[in-house]
Amino acid sequence: MSMGKSIRNRLMPYTFVLPALLLLFLFSLIPILIALVISFTGLDITGLGNWSTVKFVGLDNFVKLFHDSQFLQSIGNTLYYVVIGVPLVVLLSLTVAILINFGNNKFFSFLRLIFYTPSITNTVAVAVVWTYMYNPNMGLLNNMLGKIGIGPLQWLNDPATAKISLIILAVWKAIGLNMLIFLAALQGIPRSLYEAAELDGANWWEQTRHITLPSLRFSIFFVSVTTLIGWFQFFDEPFVMTKGGPLNSTNSVALFVYQNGFQNSNFGYAAAGSFIMFAAIIVATLIQFKIQKKQQGE
Amino acid sequence: MDTNFRSERKLSKGVVGLILAFWGLMTILPFLWMFLSSFKSNAEISQMTQNFLPQHWTLMNYKNLFVSGNFGVYLKNTLIITLASFVGLLFNAMAGYGFAKFKFKGKAFLFIAVLSTMMIPGQVTMIPVYLILNQLHLTNTLLGIILPGLVGAFAIFLFRQFMSNISDSIIEAARLDGASEWYIFWHIILPISKPVLAVQGILTFIGGWNAFLWPLIIANDQKYYTLSVGLQLLQGQHTTDYGLQMAGSSFMVIPIIIIFLIFQKYILQGFNVQAEK
Amino acid sequence: MHFKKILGLAAVAASAILLASCGNNSSKSSSKANDTLTFWYGGDADTAVKPIANEFTKKTGVKVKIQSIPWSQYNDKLLTAAASKTGPDVLVVGTTQMPNFVGSKTLMDITDTVKSDSSIAPDKFFTGSENTTKFNGKYYGLPWYVETRVLYYRKDLLKSVGYNQAPKTWDELYDAATKLSKRGKNMYGFNVDGAEPTFGFMFARQNGATLLKNDKPQFNKKAMVDSLEYLNKFTKNGASPKQDTKLSIGQSFGGNGPVPMFISGPWMMSSIKNDAGLKDSQWGVAELPKGKVSNMSSTGGGDLAVFNYTKNKKNAIKFVKFMSKKENQLKYYKNSDSMPTLKAAWQDESLSDSRIQVFRKQLNNSEPMPLIKQWDQIGQNYLKAWEQIALNNADVQKTMDTFNTQTEELINK
Repeated sequence: MSMGKSIRNRLMPYTFVLPALLLLFLFSLIPILIALVISFTGLDITGLGNWSTVKFVGLDNFVKLFHDSQFLQSIGNTLYYVVIGVPLVVLLSLTVAILINFGNNKFFSFLRLIFYTPSITNTVAVAVVWTYMYNPNMGLLNNMLGKIGIGPLQWLNDPATAKISLIILAVWKAIGLNMLIFLAALQGIPRSLYEAAELDGANWWEQTRHITLPSLRFSIFFVSVTTLIGWFQFFDEPFVMTKGGPLNSTNSVALFVYQNGFQNSNFGYAAAGSFIMFAAIIVATLIQFKIQKKQQGE
Repeated sequence: MDTNFRSERKLSKGVVGLILAFWGLMTILPFLWMFLSSFKSNAEISQMTQNFLPQHWTLMNYKNLFVSGNFGVYLKNTLIITLASFVGLLFNAMAGYGFAKFKFKGKAFLFIAVLSTMMIPGQVTMIPVYLILNQLHLTNTLLGIILPGLVGAFAIFLFRQFMSNISDSIIEAARLDGASEWYIFWHIILPISKPVLAVQGILTFIGGWNAFLWPLIIANDQKYYTLSVGLQLLQGQHTTDYGLQMAGSSFMVIPIIIIFLIFQKYILQGFNVQAEK
Repeated sequence: MHFKKILGLAAVAASAILLASCGNNSSKSSSKANDTLTFWYGGDADTAVKPIANEFTKKTGVKVKIQSIPWSQYNDKLLTAAASKTGPDVLVVGTTQMPNFVGSKTLMDITDTVKSDSSIAPDKFFTGSENTTKFNGKYYGLPWYVETRVLYYRKDLLKSVGYNQAPKTWDELYDAATKLSKRGKNMYGFNVDGAEPTFGFMFARQNGATLLKNDKPQFNKKAMVDSLEYLNKFTKNGASPKQDTKLSIGQSFGGNGPVPMFISGPWMMSSIKNDAGLKDSQWGVAELPKGKVSNMSSTGGGDLAVFNYTKNKKNAIKFVKFMSKKENQLKYYKNSDSMPTLKAAWQDESLSDSRIQVFRKQLNNSEPMPLIKQWDQIGQNYLKAWEQIALNNADVQKTMDTFNTQTEELINK
């Protein structure tokens, strides 16, 4: 009898994860495996309608990718986005969350909504407004900067500043969601900890450093990992604003994959490109998990 | 000393408020722009000099929005999909709990597998997913529209992270009292997880409300279209009616704001359960 | 506990819906009765196509179920149909997509129909349109609407630099544009369109270039290189912006007209009329200026095709033929501003407007881009090559040599 119970206990965890895993298996993992197979073929639009014409090409796609200067450039751009964008997002959304948590009145709760609006603004509207803001001749930003004697900057028109301009836009969009996650996490910190610290005479900054930040460890980890995964697949902003130009300076791997896979119907080539990206992301994620484990061990 | 501390706090609160107000203004500007533009004519939007406020207020865009398209049907589908996506929320929470608080064989591997589904762009798997749904005879059904997006790695991960934070002693205590695992999950874990459930609830709502790609790809009949698809239909092949787009997106955003205001109350319901940690 | 109640309620409601919708899917196969046609259409079909389809139903008793599909996702939708071999009975295919979907066997060979009915004989349509339906001597669709590109210009501004008419030749175009660009800072004369993949090829043809000879690209030959050199003169002396200005039509063409001349298709007509804030007398359209050899424009548009795996072949063909009747093309033009492909339709009064007639004349001199499945990618690569020339001061001959080799590899693949 106790045997039966222990089996049930051992199976218990699976009943919790099973429904989700089943769906993910069917609609995410199997398609990914199919895509992996496709990456070793020369599948194009002809093959799509007539599978018998699809040729297995081995590692050809991968070899070709590493000789494709546009692909290499888009890898460089993507790394640039990740290295600058991810820390910015984590830092700024954490700052906003902590600042908003500072007050408890109507004004501060209204601010929560305000900082969340970029995530719910329609993409077309975002593109229209930001295109206007970034316009070198008549845009809002150059107008304002001109008043304090700076500029005019070329923003999206200059390969040197285009990437940064897209990062600003993407960070603006990303703060809201991550702020919410941090705010939710901040609620989990017991008030008593702060009260005790206050009695010890710790000021706000000391409390933040020694109580708030350590307690947010799990959520900081979460935001870092998901932001990293997201920024490796940086797509929306260059797709809407620049189509990867000027001079390919804003093209990302995800956009490269899209252009090859969907605009040009080179499905095999595009799939191969996305698996190179996949490998990079999984390595980066595993490193993050390792670091977190180490910190926990300390 | 105490009063000094308090007034200092008041002062810093004011400074923080000021910083946030300025930052917030920069943040909301595009949103306001979208909203105000929905009351401008398309001609005014494409003028040389842009005014923040409409020069001639008009409801034309909203009128056009509701005259064209089958918005009643679209609204119904959108609501169904949104409601159904809350089943997904439950699955995600369950899986997050499973990964956070149980030890089982293959856990690490399975979790990495879950995360890996986030690492491939959706376009690459779109056609395979369609072919699978076609094999299952689910194309042109509501179920086929709902299933592919029902659960997601992001949500599972989020729940896992937050539920890891819950102290084991509460769960152990409940087990000793003879509570079943489902009872613990439903009556202890979920209530404690209110803040993160609220965050994920907002996200789930937005995801369902804005559902676009699968309703379009799976449907072979306009009777399964959603509001987002209806809005996209109004877009020309070469040209965009900006006024109409602004009106459509402003209209779509209202329910989101309402849901946000309802749920954000729960985000702030702190819990002091881990005080004894 | 309040919160949990909401969640619980939602879950119960949602599972009920899921169960209900499970039950639904059995009805799907039976609805495929033989007297209903499915028609895929890009954009909103309610006003544009539905009245004509209703007419068809009245005449034949065959119902037409139109599915409107947003343009932004139309190609995705066609791809899933190609891959799964399930889809509509009749569909609209953009002319540039024809080679792709003929190649994937998504479209039915309707040569017999085309050859057996004189009212839809190939010579009834504009050659440029008809060419987009013909592959290896077989026909895979009927031309439905046509687009060609013409010169849009600001009459008042051109007058101010001494042009009472639109420029008629390349030399005049360059001269007028240069003069107009002298009006001040951020003022241009003409837009060398850095976002339009057909742009350079169009000018190359006007200069006598053959783009492909026996499937071999001729992009680094003198005719094409010279025409790009010509276009590059505009960006070099400031007569044209170096890259897409990202301005709306009101900002670029209206007001003091920073970009007073540009080349585009018929869809710009209503944009200018509605949104540019210009008086009718201030702007006009003209046939393209003539190069060394011609003023050849580039043809686009859409064709009507039958889905290769349809179970409704007879009715599908009947519908395609019905839509291609002169009076129905004209109705479609009235509902949607999409121009008819039947030459005879153009005698109708509804197309007598002098601006519209400019398109009619241009259609005599208009060809689609080469109809090979790699062309989309070649067009994208051209834009990148042009960027190198315009922004990076790359040598034209060298850039085109590279581009040509790249294209050869692409076609031979």
